[in-house]
Amino acid sequence: MTVAAEPHPWRVPPRWVLLVAVLSIVCAELGGASMARFKVELTRWARDAMLARPAVHGLVGVRDVDERILDEALVKFDAGLRLFHMHAEGMGLVIIATTMVAATVARAGVARRVIIALLTTGGAGYPVGYLVWSALIPAYGLERAKTIAEWLVWIPFGSATIVALWWLTGLLALRMIGR
Amino acid sequence: MTRVMLALLATLLAAPAAAHHVGAYVPKDNAVTINFKQVKFSVQARKFDVALRLFETGALRAEMRAHAATLPAGLENETRAALAASDGPEVERRLMIFFAALARDLALEADRRLAEAGGTAESRAATGRKFLEAIWRYYNLVDFAVATRDNKTSVAVRLAFDEAETYVKPATGAAAPADPARLRPPLQRIAQVLSTLIEASPTHARRDS
Repeated sequence: MTVAAEPHPWRVPPRWVLLVAVLSIVCAELGGASMARFKVELTRWARDAMLARPAVHGLVGVRDVDERILDEALVKFDAGLRLFHMHAEGMGLVIIATTMVAATVARAGVARRVIIALLTTGGAGYPVGYLVWSALIPAYGLERAKTIAEWLVWIPFGSATIVALWWLTGLLALRMIGR
Repeated sequence: MTRVMLALLATLLAAPAAAHHVGAYVPKDNAVTINFKQVKFSVQARKFDVALRLFETGALRAEMRAHAATLPAGLENETRAALAASDGPEVERRLMIFFAALARDLALEADRRLAEAGGTAESRAATGRKFLEAIWRYYNLVDFAVATRDNKTSVAVRLAFDEAETYVKPATGAAAPADPARLRPPLQRIAQVLSTLIEASPTHARRDS
């Protein structure tokens, strides 16, 4: 029996890329496990930190008013941890899939390296934004923490991923037109 | 060609992963409102023994005791007596008085806070907004009971509440910016109308419809 050789076989991305993707998934799993294991401790820490900064969170000292504010902040704090777990898991797989496409499709050495670097750093860095957001909520409040996470992590790393994906899409489109 | 198409599809599907969202918050009931609903639904199902047990062991009774100084005398005992006597309308009326009192106390506290000097207009508006949310959370539970007994009070509270809300809304587009200074009169009106309701209710249940 003979096996026909693939005309354009898939190329595996560099090892460091696979390592970063796997590490991202490992961090997601550790984060998810820690979130479940230390849920009470994390909630207690966040609540105490928020109560220590009433002005930041707009607490007025009336239980009926403050309990809603604290509840919303704690729900978002928990959501940040959950979203980190979910995104880090998903982006690990996205890194592997998209860098494999880039390694296979992008022929020019520089373009291939830049796209792979952008996809990897963007994909691995973006989920960390949720961790940053969550960690900053008790100290800076919901909106300020979100702004910091946006400018520090989500916008730069998210943009890197978006730019790389559109670049890769353009290359794929050019190849299709060329055929 | 198929390989390239699949690769393109995989790439495009990956793109939405880069759009960040931070979830949505749905306000939850607190222990008092949960216990109120448990008692209310038990009474509606005519399970007065269950309602009495839920009242005696729940947050409603604890809250009545905590607020005893600002509530009509004997409200807790009368609520329990109404439950023991399987008197649904009377239980509803006692609980209506209790939540009206909670809403009134919050309106008075909000008015007192807004009377204090200091803070920016935005921070005072935010404080006013949070108090209004808390007032509505309690009043909303008994608005139907209030409206069936005294619809003028119900309308007066809702009108005052709507007016108060317009003064604390954040500025968007052509809308005027928040004006917390104008928030005090509607808050005072809410407190005054609810005080009248509480004072009149224990002995004079009236129907305007």
